[in-house]
Amino acid sequence: MIPEVKELIYRFDQLDYVVEEELATVIFLMLMMEKPLLLEGPPGVGKTEVANIIAHYRGYELIRLQCYEGLDVSTSVYEWNYQKQLLHIKLNEKGKISAQEQEKVIFSDEFLLKRPLLKAITSDKPAVLLLDEIDRADEEFEAFLLELLSDFQISIPELGTIKAKHKPVVILTSNRTRDLSDALKRRCLYYWVDFPTFDKELAILEKRVGGEVVMLRQLVKFIGYLRGQNLQKTPGVAETIDWARALITLNTTSLTQESIDSTLGCILKSQKDIDEIRHSITNILEDISA
Amino acid sequence: MELSHFTNHYSVRSSMAGFSEMCRQNGLSVGLNHTKEGVKAAQLGFIRDPQSFYYSLKSLFCKDFEEQVIFDQCFQVYWKKRNHQYSHKIQEQGKSNIAKNTRASLVMMGVKNKNQKEEATHQEAKSVSGVSHIDQLKKTDFSKIKSVDLAQFEDLIEKLLRQLNTRLKHRLTHTKRGKIDIRKSIRKNISSRDEIINLSYRKRKIQKTRLVILLDVSGSMDKYSFFLLKFIWSLKSYLKNIEAFIFSTHLIRITDLLKEDELMESMMQMSDRATNWSGGTKIGECLGSFNDQFSKLVLNGRSVTIILSDGLDDGDPKVMFNEVNKIKLRTRKLVWLNPLKGMKGYEPLAKGMKAALPAVDDFLSAHNLASLMELEKILSHA
Repeated sequence: MIPEVKELIYRFDQLDYVVEEELATVIFLMLMMEKPLLLEGPPGVGKTEVANIIAHYRGYELIRLQCYEGLDVSTSVYEWNYQKQLLHIKLNEKGKISAQEQEKVIFSDEFLLKRPLLKAITSDKPAVLLLDEIDRADEEFEAFLLELLSDFQISIPELGTIKAKHKPVVILTSNRTRDLSDALKRRCLYYWVDFPTFDKELAILEKRVGGEVVMLRQLVKFIGYLRGQNLQKTPGVAETIDWARALITLNTTSLTQESIDSTLGCILKSQKDIDEIRHSITNILEDISA
Repeated sequence: MELSHFTNHYSVRSSMAGFSEMCRQNGLSVGLNHTKEGVKAAQLGFIRDPQSFYYSLKSLFCKDFEEQVIFDQCFQVYWKKRNHQYSHKIQEQGKSNIAKNTRASLVMMGVKNKNQKEEATHQEAKSVSGVSHIDQLKKTDFSKIKSVDLAQFEDLIEKLLRQLNTRLKHRLTHTKRGKIDIRKSIRKNISSRDEIINLSYRKRKIQKTRLVILLDVSGSMDKYSFFLLKFIWSLKSYLKNIEAFIFSTHLIRITDLLKEDELMESMMQMSDRATNWSGGTKIGECLGSFNDQFSKLVLNGRSVTIILSDGLDDGDPKVMFNEVNKIKLRTRKLVWLNPLKGMKGYEPLAKGMKAALPAVDDFLSAHNLASLMELEKILSHA
């Protein structure tokens, strides 16, 4: 491990974020090369959290764009404040301002509504730009992103091309509901975020929740077992944390049939999964304590 | 493939180029830019530690979860890790010297014994074959798929369907905001007298194609029906508007059964309902009962009908033609997918098949995944 990465892991640790060597190396590389980072992986493994923690670590503002199907320029980049423009024209109707001047005024910064992408590149301080669940956006939007991600500039017909004052740190996350285009992937560093190992998950729980280590160990083992099953919705780290919190709130000190039964809704989010696991709780408890 | 190793090169730049070349030969899509960035990463100091170097190159060169296996192999072969007696010296030299003193920095990732290396690398290079295997699997006849490949095959189906789904969806949706609706805008802004402050937009209503699938599950289709059913089931979870039927001696609607989240459960319920699984074939009669009971319900000018059958019919060819033609008249497009068509030298000589052909718009094969993916063209033009 090179010393810079070690330092990064240490700093993240102080911010209560457990990061493994590989991810830390990739984050360090991203910050050095000023390249966007694409994080792929199942839901609930802490992809979004990476952006949060980098913003925290660098002291930058986090600008987040949640992607969805049908996302377009007016909600992601900019929109002209049409109502305000109209009122402005109305107010100046009696004054003798030429049409050209009028146009200059109403297509200026004052009437521009900045959406996340434009905000990220025009902000005075560098920012972390999080494009969450990019796989949900349309391919057209992906293509639009290419200009932004490689040159960090955006073209607005009325104003010309706007270049970034500071290159933002860009993080993209994807749940893989579809494959992203090669052109987009080529511009990014890639990292596959998987479910954490036993030790990592335990460390996360100790940091985030605290409580009896014996129970936490049991709990992580239980979750690990569930991930091996063919469930409709595999529980992620977020669920583990929720569950640990729920159990601690209920003053549980060790996992038992009843305590699991009453809190199963924290980790399993489908009736079918719950039914299936509920029947075999005793067996699973035996399995993991063996 | 000629074996390549970083010791064949004398600078970071050329050895990185060699590595890119090797990755490319093994199916990773690595371009000039990647090489450049690889060199940059090395110069940034990542080369000081083998593990960090590996992680940084991995994030640069891999663009997919599945590619990681191939990359790992290439990396192992090319930058074989060994401790070298000079390694401590390089660490002392610091970052800036690394770029200049490249030979030495490469040694750090270094090699002691050349002869041993040759043998080991030969074997490892052979096992780098992920991509070509998948290509092969796409073209394998369903009846010849080994149970070993089944898991990989299922992943492949899912991946291909995901691609197909995205492409279809994009053809079906309009992302533009639409035209300004003047009437609505005026009405909405009545309160502000003569000014129109809020605009209303008009959007075109999206009309979705309905897919109607008729699957033959008679004895002669046994080898294929499981895979085809799996395909239909997966299709169901991607395209919303599907009607599905199975038939052998009589017709059964299975649209509701496909809604199950588990394929196995779907299949169990289907076999409960279908008492004639793997029985004889009466295509004409079954299509007849489809026309009587369901065609008015599920067929309209926007529906595409797909019949999946080998066309080996026990019934009267005249009935067959009449019924197929009836479907044809009610649907926008009628496609017949025949698994046997994939065989060399196949001619539609079976009398049932021959009779039906004139009424069919498209007659295609359905014996492997690649041929099923051809469906996309039909669905998108429909």
